Amino acid sequence: MIRIRAPQEIAAGLFLIALASFVFWQTDDLTVGTMRALGPGMMPRALATACGLCGGALVILSFLKDGASLEHWSIRGPLFILGAAIVFGLAIRPLGLFVAGPAAVIIGSLAARDSRFVESILFAAVMTTFCWLLFKVLLSLPIPVAPWLLGY
Amino acid sequence: MDSFIGNLELGFSTALSLQNIALCFAGCLIGTLVGILPGVGPIATIAILLPLTFQVDPIGALIMLAGIYYGAQYGGSTTAILVNIPGEATSVVTTLDGHQMARNGRAGIALGIAAIGSFFAGTVATLVIAALGVPLTRLALVFGPAEYFSLMVLGLAFAVVLARGSILRAGAVIFIGLLLATVGTDLQTGDERLTLGMVDLMDGIDFAVLAMGLFGFAEILRNLDNPETRDVVQAKIGKLLPSKADFKQAALPVVRGTLLGGALGILPGNGAVLGPFASYTLEKKISRTPRRFGNGAIEGVAGPESANNAGAQTAFIPLLTLGIPPNAVMALMVGAMTIHGIIPGPQVMTKTPGLFWGMIASMWLGNLMLLIINLPLIGLWVRLLKVPYRLMFPAILLFCCIGIYSINNDPSDVLLTAFFGFAGYAFYRFGFEPAPLLLGFVLGKLMEEKLRQALILSRGDFGTFVTSPVSAGLLLLAVLVIVVAIIPTVRKGREEAFQE
Repeated sequence: MIRIRAPQEIAAGLFLIALASFVFWQTDDLTVGTMRALGPGMMPRALATACGLCGGALVILSFLKDGASLEHWSIRGPLFILGAAIVFGLAIRPLGLFVAGPAAVIIGSLAARDSRFVESILFAAVMTTFCWLLFKVLLSLPIPVAPWLLGY
Repeated sequence: MDSFIGNLELGFSTALSLQNIALCFAGCLIGTLVGILPGVGPIATIAILLPLTFQVDPIGALIMLAGIYYGAQYGGSTTAILVNIPGEATSVVTTLDGHQMARNGRAGIALGIAAIGSFFAGTVATLVIAALGVPLTRLALVFGPAEYFSLMVLGLAFAVVLARGSILRAGAVIFIGLLLATVGTDLQTGDERLTLGMVDLMDGIDFAVLAMGLFGFAEILRNLDNPETRDVVQAKIGKLLPSKADFKQAALPVVRGTLLGGALGILPGNGAVLGPFASYTLEKKISRTPRRFGNGAIEGVAGPESANNAGAQTAFIPLLTLGIPPNAVMALMVGAMTIHGIIPGPQVMTKTPGLFWGMIASMWLGNLMLLIINLPLIGLWVRLLKVPYRLMFPAILLFCCIGIYSINNDPSDVLLTAFFGFAGYAFYRFGFEPAPLLLGFVLGKLMEEKLRQALILSRGDFGTFVTSPVSAGLLLLAVLVIVVAIIPTVRKGREEAFQE
């Protein structure tokens, strides 16, 4: 009876195979070239083949050997942490550090189960002020601070 | 010999300018501070602090970064001793006896001997780098494209073997890293590769974006999933200065650790990781009382810590002389250098000797600073250990966001980093170790370039990699390293299969 004995291995293997296929599909129009003059498609496809082979081996191994199970993926962490970064990226140009900074800190701190709302608001204010002093005043990096209020 | 002293003189005259001393001090201090904070290893520390160096001139920036690196390393040892959490792979060994010493009320002595041993190791390593720098650079000049390519293959082979987890996974991760390096416009033909039509990817993936995604964001996600239990030593730190008897016990292990770690650190591919383990095993083997190891033996801290620091420093040799980073941290240093417009390699020494020797001199200065900063500030570091993670990570998040934005003043970089943060989390869930990826990414462009050059020179004949004795030797060594590592796992796998 064939059964999957290492779910994490098979997931990793399938991921590698998917990645390799994706690269092959994307580099479809690039020439591989000759040995004398390697084309732009050569390296990506050779590397994708290597990735795919590793993936295939992992898939085969997952039927032969017991291994780690695929743990539960949490949604909360990635959602709020990456969400905070995305909000920061979208807000920094139009709204500046004084909006994007606190927003990132407050949204990000929702990722922890033990976060406290009032504490994270205070912390957001402190961190934003600190970053403004450090990066803008002390290191004079060209970050928009509050274009809608200060004009820069 | 004259040039050796003359070079060091030039180095110290550069490193000892008021600005550079201040930068070195700031780097060491901030590096230690961030390195000690929960859940931030050296790679993440350097990635997070990169933007602090943007406004400084290149030599100052490199001195500061090197300081941050040593500080982060030392911070890792401090957490290993005080909380039993190794900041990174190389301080795993320190937890064995260091934390036991702390539990026996000798935390101060453990921290003290770690700092003193590291300082000794750093001093020796600095001299080794200064002595080997010139001859190795000459070696680099006779290296052709084929030899370079083979050397990088060897480096990656070592990285695969020394990575945590299975060889298959480590290999796959390196291939992904190399693959990511091919993204962008092909330099020879101008064709777009794997850019998915996105303008932001035309110049390739920014190194800092990848590093901060994989090590800044993904590390937060990883830590949120497994809240670490911090077992901060409650007992008093006690006195820091080891007694005469302690010194007597620790002196030889420090010397042996320095030699071992220094020699292993030069190896391409993460050789520095082996140093502490090798030193610990050696000390235990030759000790008259091996039973004391694991129960707070001072030799078990002194040897590995010296090996760790010596290796951390000699790891700069392949980077400075050949332009090839041996591990992920050095890959990060390459990224930082390129941001400042310096292409690491043999030409750094000939074109900008002040920068090269200044950085080497600053290594010794950095080690001295660590000794001066850390011993009196340990009380403060202990308090930092108690900062709750729920406050830590939003601060790291904000720092990363500002840092990424500042590299190119481009908001889309932040979005791309978020993507790599997610990729890093997925890697973790699939059981992939991300550090070799960074190494593969940094070596990828250079490898492809050298491969193409070598093939053009040999008119398409792959034999060029074996007809050159140097290149053939390097490739043979690479194959050997992989085979030696694979044989036992294959055999074990077979045995398991047969048992069924």
